[in-house]
Amino acid sequence: MGTVHAKSLDPLPMHGRDLGVNPDDLVEPPEMEHEAKQEILENKDVVVQHVNIQGLGRTKEDLLGYEISDVFHAKNLIDVMKKAHVARQKLLRLGIFKEVEVLIDTSDGTDALPNGLDVTFEVTEIKRLTGSYNTMVGNNEGSMVLGLKLPNMLGRAEKLTFQFSYGTKETSYGLSFFKPQPGHFERNLTLNMYKVTGQFPWSSLKETDRGMSAEVNFPLGMTNHTLKWEGVWRELGCLARSASFAVREESGHSLKSALSHTVSVDSRNSAIFPNRGALLRINQVSVVLLLVTDLLKELIFNTEPVLSASLWGGMLYPLGGQPSCIADRFYLGGPTSVRGFGMYSIGPQSEGDYLGGEAYWAGGLHLYTPLPFRPGKGGFGDLFRTHFFLNAGNLCNLNYGDGPRAHLQKLAECIRWSYGAGIVLRLGNIARLELNYCVPMGVQSGDRYTVFL
Amino acid sequence: MANNFFLAQPAVLPLVAGAAEPWPETATLYQPLKEDQILLSDCASSLAVQAYLRMCGLPVQVAYRANAEYMSPSGKIPFIHVGNQVVSELGPIVQFTKAKGHSLSDGLDDIQRAEMKAYMELVNNMLLTAELYIQWCDDATAAEISRPRYSSPYSWPLSNILAYQKQWEVRRKMNAIGWGGKTLEQVYEDVSQCCQALSQRLGTQPFFFNKQPTELDALVFGHLFTILTTRLTSTELAERIKSYSNLLMENNLSV
Repeated sequence: MGTVHAKSLDPLPMHGRDLGVNPDDLVEPPEMEHEAKQEILENKDVVVQHVNIQGLGRTKEDLLGYEISDVFHAKNLIDVMKKAHVARQKLLRLGIFKEVEVLIDTSDGTDALPNGLDVTFEVTEIKRLTGSYNTMVGNNEGSMVLGLKLPNMLGRAEKLTFQFSYGTKETSYGLSFFKPQPGHFERNLTLNMYKVTGQFPWSSLKETDRGMSAEVNFPLGMTNHTLKWEGVWRELGCLARSASFAVREESGHSLKSALSHTVSVDSRNSAIFPNRGALLRINQVSVVLLLVTDLLKELIFNTEPVLSASLWGGMLYPLGGQPSCIADRFYLGGPTSVRGFGMYSIGPQSEGDYLGGEAYWAGGLHLYTPLPFRPGKGGFGDLFRTHFFLNAGNLCNLNYGDGPRAHLQKLAECIRWSYGAGIVLRLGNIARLELNYCVPMGVQSGDRYTVFL
Repeated sequence: MANNFFLAQPAVLPLVAGAAEPWPETATLYQPLKEDQILLSDCASSLAVQAYLRMCGLPVQVAYRANAEYMSPSGKIPFIHVGNQVVSELGPIVQFTKAKGHSLSDGLDDIQRAEMKAYMELVNNMLLTAELYIQWCDDATAAEISRPRYSSPYSWPLSNILAYQKQWEVRRKMNAIGWGGKTLEQVYEDVSQCCQALSQRLGTQPFFFNKQPTELDALVFGHLFTILTTRLTSTELAERIKSYSNLLMENNLSV
């Protein structure tokens, strides 16, 4: 059981007025509802003398100093409460504590000031090793997923995760090490090693990737930047004997070394049903042979019902004159991009296999309203929304010899678009379930489309 | 190394559908890069197929791809792309062309046909296996020739990984068929015996059967020509073959 003791940053004793409040009242975190008390409390100057953290086992003390240092700057009681609350949030976001409780008490001891306060954070550390076991069934394949996590491995909020998936068809595994910079949690480093397999029936393609990556995140002003290097040994193969020859030609092994940079600005207040804010994400990947730019911009207007507009696009430019690989190209279509079309079933194809394209754009306009007549309001019904949408997009290969005008023209012709309505259900904060009726328009030969999706 | 000539190979897509179409001009044969990549055994197999198709009078273009081995439906070289169909290895290709109405062994009676198949099995079980052994199980050849050539289209570290992976795979196969314990001398002896059997069958005739070349002639030509013209770490293999002069003469005639 370790504790952290911190001295006040202000060496000069401050003589303030007598608080006139019974010390016993300060033992629990005071609530803000009592008006009279609040008036008195707000006007009293206090000095935070000690900030303790109790309940530490393996966590190193220097890491936590940064998170709690701000509490010392509080000048009155309300400020102390606010800053303690913020410090508690900061401690929780490190992901190393199961619970954090805050106690504010008058200070006692030989050097106690009459208006001195002691703030104590009582923390419960997460267990050293956590495991998880899931079974997944889907797409004619069953698999068993085993996960192992070592949070706070070396005492400074590092995390080591290992995941192993054993299935009837494929086996994948991955090892990941996460290390934040002490004091600046948003600046962190992640190292990965993995082997994953994927099957893409829309292209009759199967892919096995064995690789490693190193990723650095850091905020810069309002934006969040991610810099990532990835080295992958990629193996492509035909999923079925009936794969088209164009896909067969891409079979084999290749080595990919990619450096990517992502900039994102996200002020939405929820990932699934945001009420207001905007997300802008620009991703540039430079591979030995390719240059990829991907842009996602989403705007949500603060109205109830909620109107959301999104636009994304990407371009792939092969350097060195070699053709691009099927696994690097963009795909379009399906319930996440252009509804009404089959999964990734828009664009260049050969004998029914979709080959992807080197340039694309897609946009959507969505209107979310609560269910008509608001059934189950305040409870279950809040998870649902009705949803009207208009999606459009295009995917093609550009002839880089022509100028930008020709490129824009090519992207603007043969636009696929669709409109429709449906119901959306939010699952936790991670996923959504949609049931829509779509009317696909602008279908080109070779695209696959559906009406219910 | 049971090369199944006679069973319905998964390497052949629906034959019935393709039987009706004539042989297209765009028929292509795929093999690894000739200058830097292809190895002795693959070159022999590819040459055998090319010789066979030429004997049938069927035109075929040759395309060189670094990933030809992975493109092939059975993982073996060579394979041909005819219309919509992809067929690999000599046996299935012979069946495929027969379905299209081209065949070299029509004139044979049943006994001769069985004999021909037996000799083709001999060539595959002896000559082809010996070639694979020399390439991958002999350390000197593997290090100097096979691994560098096999991995030439790839950059480090993928080149090392793929070369060693292939070597382990071939060595495992050799152990499985009982060749793992053989020495190089024993392998050369086996080659000599195989050539002896072929030489005896050939005798003084121009071809193995009747006066017409058959797929057996194409197969033997492919292997012998490649062995004689490929540089290995030692010339022992070529020397052994050169002692069977009637086989060499036959190959000159059928080129």
